[in-house]
Amino acid sequence: MRANEHLRLTYFPLHPMKSATFQYAKADSIPHACALLCEYGVDAKLLAGGQSLVPMMAMRLARPAWLINVNEIDELKTSARRSGADGEVWVTGAGVRQIDLERDEAVAAAVPLLRQGLSWVGHVQTKNRGTVGGSLVHADPSAELPLVAHTLGARCVLRRADVERSVEANAFFIAPMITATEPDECLTEVHWPIWRRERVGSAFDEVSIRHGDFAIVAACAQVELDHAGRCVRAALGIGGAASTPVALDAIARSLHGTALDPTTVDAALRSIGDHLDPASDVHATAEYRIHLARVLAARVIRQARADALSPPHRGPQ
Amino acid sequence: MAEKTSPYGFRYIGAKRRTKEDPRFVTGRGRFAADVQLPGMLHVAIVASPYPSARVKAFDTTAALALPGVRYVLTGAELCAAIDPMYVGVDAPKVKRYPLADGLVRYAGEWVAAVVAETRAIAEDAVELIEVDFEPQPHVVDPEVAVRADSVKVHPEHGSNVLFHRKFVWGDVDGAFARADHRLAFRARWGRSATVPIETFVAVAQWDAGNEILDIWASIQMPKYPDQVARALRLPGNAVRVHFDVDVGGSYGVKRGIKHTLLVAYLARKLGAPVRFLEDRLENMRGGDMHGPDRIFDMQVAFDQDGTIRAWKIKALDDVGAYAGRSPLQLGKPVSAICGPYRIPAVEYEPTSVMTHKTPQEAVRGFGQAPTNFAMECTIDRVARHLRMDRLVLRRKNLIRKDEFPYRIPSGTTYDSGDYHAVLDKALAAANYDELLHRRDEARRAGRLAGIGVSTCLEPSGGNSSFEPLFNPKNETTTWMDSCLVRVDLTGAITGVFGTSSAGQGHQTLVATVLGEVFERDPAGIRVIHADSLNALPSNSPVGSRMAIMLGGAAAGAARQIKETLIAIGAHNLGVGVDGVTYRDGDVFATIHPEKRLTWDQLVEIAHRKYHRMPPGVEPGLQAKFVWEVPTGGTMPTEDGQVQMYPCYSFESHVVYVEIDPDTGKPVLQRYVVGHDCGVMINPDIVHGMTYGGVAHGIGAALYEKFAFSDDGQLLSGTFMDYLIPSALEVPEIRIVDHCTPSPLTTFGQKGSGEAGYLGGPAAIACAINDALDPLGTEIAETPMSHLALWTLIRDARVKPQLKDAA
Repeated sequence: MRANEHLRLTYFPLHPMKSATFQYAKADSIPHACALLCEYGVDAKLLAGGQSLVPMMAMRLARPAWLINVNEIDELKTSARRSGADGEVWVTGAGVRQIDLERDEAVAAAVPLLRQGLSWVGHVQTKNRGTVGGSLVHADPSAELPLVAHTLGARCVLRRADVERSVEANAFFIAPMITATEPDECLTEVHWPIWRRERVGSAFDEVSIRHGDFAIVAACAQVELDHAGRCVRAALGIGGAASTPVALDAIARSLHGTALDPTTVDAALRSIGDHLDPASDVHATAEYRIHLARVLAARVIRQARADALSPPHRGPQ
Repeated sequence: MAEKTSPYGFRYIGAKRRTKEDPRFVTGRGRFAADVQLPGMLHVAIVASPYPSARVKAFDTTAALALPGVRYVLTGAELCAAIDPMYVGVDAPKVKRYPLADGLVRYAGEWVAAVVAETRAIAEDAVELIEVDFEPQPHVVDPEVAVRADSVKVHPEHGSNVLFHRKFVWGDVDGAFARADHRLAFRARWGRSATVPIETFVAVAQWDAGNEILDIWASIQMPKYPDQVARALRLPGNAVRVHFDVDVGGSYGVKRGIKHTLLVAYLARKLGAPVRFLEDRLENMRGGDMHGPDRIFDMQVAFDQDGTIRAWKIKALDDVGAYAGRSPLQLGKPVSAICGPYRIPAVEYEPTSVMTHKTPQEAVRGFGQAPTNFAMECTIDRVARHLRMDRLVLRRKNLIRKDEFPYRIPSGTTYDSGDYHAVLDKALAAANYDELLHRRDEARRAGRLAGIGVSTCLEPSGGNSSFEPLFNPKNETTTWMDSCLVRVDLTGAITGVFGTSSAGQGHQTLVATVLGEVFERDPAGIRVIHADSLNALPSNSPVGSRMAIMLGGAAAGAARQIKETLIAIGAHNLGVGVDGVTYRDGDVFATIHPEKRLTWDQLVEIAHRKYHRMPPGVEPGLQAKFVWEVPTGGTMPTEDGQVQMYPCYSFESHVVYVEIDPDTGKPVLQRYVVGHDCGVMINPDIVHGMTYGGVAHGIGAALYEKFAFSDDGQLLSGTFMDYLIPSALEVPEIRIVDHCTPSPLTTFGQKGSGEAGYLGGPAAIACAINDALDPLGTEIAETPMSHLALWTLIRDARVKPQLKDAA
């Protein structure tokens, strides 16, 4: 589903809590969903888990003329390892429930950041319904799955009628609730890169006010170390501190060749604010968010390094 | 569940027994106001103002009325002309309040029109079609600006934004300040929070034209609700029938809802059809008029080097928002415990109630006592830090001793009983305080911020509303009775009847337990019902932590009358004097010849059928009412504002351990113990349940919850995305340790407990956080103590390091 309006308005609207009138259709297959999207386009929204869309409709922040239910499309529920041009990836269908992804041991071994990130997502009840694709296209800047996708450089597969294209995460997330998905496109798959090496470690951390709240700031990191303990590859991302998740590629690259010791990491993170553009709201100022980004980035790098070094090795296989 | 025996020597009171109410709630058989479905019922949705201050110039309702299913659009002009203004708790007759704005909007979210339609969804669609021409006016949201004479006025006709102001001086305050070794002054601020029950406000009204009676089913907890509704609608009281037999899905003070009721009542009569208004969450949080106290305290305290507190001065500015109901009186209740549990001989109290262009304030659990307790306990801890004296030593030194009760405080109230030192000691023992000190110091050595908080706070109970005459010279209220009707029918079954609704306090269990105790009959077989307002005896509703005392006392009084009748019947038929018989388990027998006996069934049969066997002059049938006046009530305030306000004083001591992440400001409560003394507990499970809820509520107020407003008068936290209530994951395991100091004033020694947990919780959490911040040389006295606020303090303290011994 695409959500082009922002749920978290500073001044919530005057709208009441029963949705505006809409038409309903159930799609049986991806082609069927695409056909419905071609027909209704900007007037339609896809309904997956509904954990964000339905409240937005209740508050009439989202008012689709058509609601297209994609919950019963089996093709959207695949989850498998695949080798392709980009190397090895874990492919999840857009309709995979977050709880299933979190509890999948093979996923946890291949892309450990997914389980680490999902442990911070909402509550068991919301994860029972919420889907992988739903979270990505909702594109809340502080949500966990978009951050993992952006940090690892996941690819999002979009289908329009018979045409398929693949968009890398850094081009997929455009603004809060806005992605590269066109009105007649359906997100079908997400390809999560697998770092198939020894001595790979990862970590996810965030500060939210209560358990399960959207993060004030979230951070995740994945590192690969050589046998001397030096970093040969790193990925670092921050959520909640700009209009989209931010992958701090330059900072990550600057860590290559280092032992990820605290002094080096702190120095690399000193200018983290230059890469962020956080907003201020009733719970956090921009200054606080930048501070949290620095603190959490240091923590996830430290934890990812420890993870990479920890026996028995728990990194991706 | 195994029934345990009463720890107090009673048969049923205090025993752990299944409650009357839980089975129906657990099995989904509660009946709430929203479950009332009447044939042809219409539904209301609200048009609200987006502006905090504006004139309502015109409406265009054409498109809305053209929508199929829409039946009516009601605007303020029509309604305000047809009904009288709602009740104001202080002497401010020009502060007029109607359910819909009277042409001038005074807060963002205020109702300006109501749409009536066949379904709620249609009504909501129609709301979007109504165009309102607003003319924005200047507004004021800062209470310290609003209080000035030159401020923009919320109610220009009132001439000022001040609803109430008075300076009370009890004792030689200035002398004490002059003579004391030390003086301290600081500001404490209690943020605007409330309770947000799962059930929002619901009101259903039906006009019975044949009998000319207005029937009302509503989710309410409101003193004199039927009377207020009748007066505003210009109806005699006997034309309003409030059905109290609906379950109320949580209240904790806020379920007042007169405006909701007046709206549907007017519409039901006007349209000749039943009308329901069920608030949605957005309507509830912004326009439901349920925000709690919002206070600035300027505290001054005078004390000696040895820790003796000689006097304090409390200046409290309370922002009640745009209108006054009973909200200004929330500054009045603290008069009843103005020195807390401490021996403070001289007190100055200067409350000011001020209006701003914000959502109106309503009663919240404790009726203003929790903010005051918070400010007092912050004061005590500051004195300790100033003297570098152990907080427990300081408290023990100043707490009223158990041999000093009854203890008269400077503001004229006498505390009934207590053993504060014992409760504090029990709480410390249960918290393993010495181990906790060790743990805190270890955490500090490891570079973490860790602190222990201890609070010692009072819960005034038995609500007597003596703040009404104190805050309004035209109000001569000196009684706040409550009543119970008891009958024993021909089958021998016992029924208790009372006249108010329940919002989870377990009144049916309360009455059944008390009746069982007096009659020596199993409470499981006793039925307790809520009469409607035309069938009921007088009640002042379950506010002010009063029903265990008041309804419990009334039920016992009525039962004793019937028991005396049964004894008289027995004695008469056994041919002995009433002094020669014994009542046991419902039977009456001759004391020296126990085989000469009349059973419960025989006695009941005589009372109902056999007038020839009744003692002369005794009324047949077995029915009795008892109206109980609040113990110690019945007096007006003195010239200098002294008054006996509440009869009973429950006490609680919280011990809290917190750690704060110094890099993020995130506080985590890791241990929580409450020592609690509410006298004799009628049902311990109910008391403990209310205490758990109160603690959770207090955690919310202390750390998370705030109805924040922007400078332009918009509510910034009007959904659960931003108004953050603690979930089960933010509430640590809570351990409650009971203590019992019976009240000498009540039937069984009981005191109130409905506000337990909340009245001492935020105070203890603040004390814990300030203990954690102490090594940094910084402190906080403002709720909520948010992540951002704590991080800001920590950062500022680190910029200007003040090295202190962390030990």
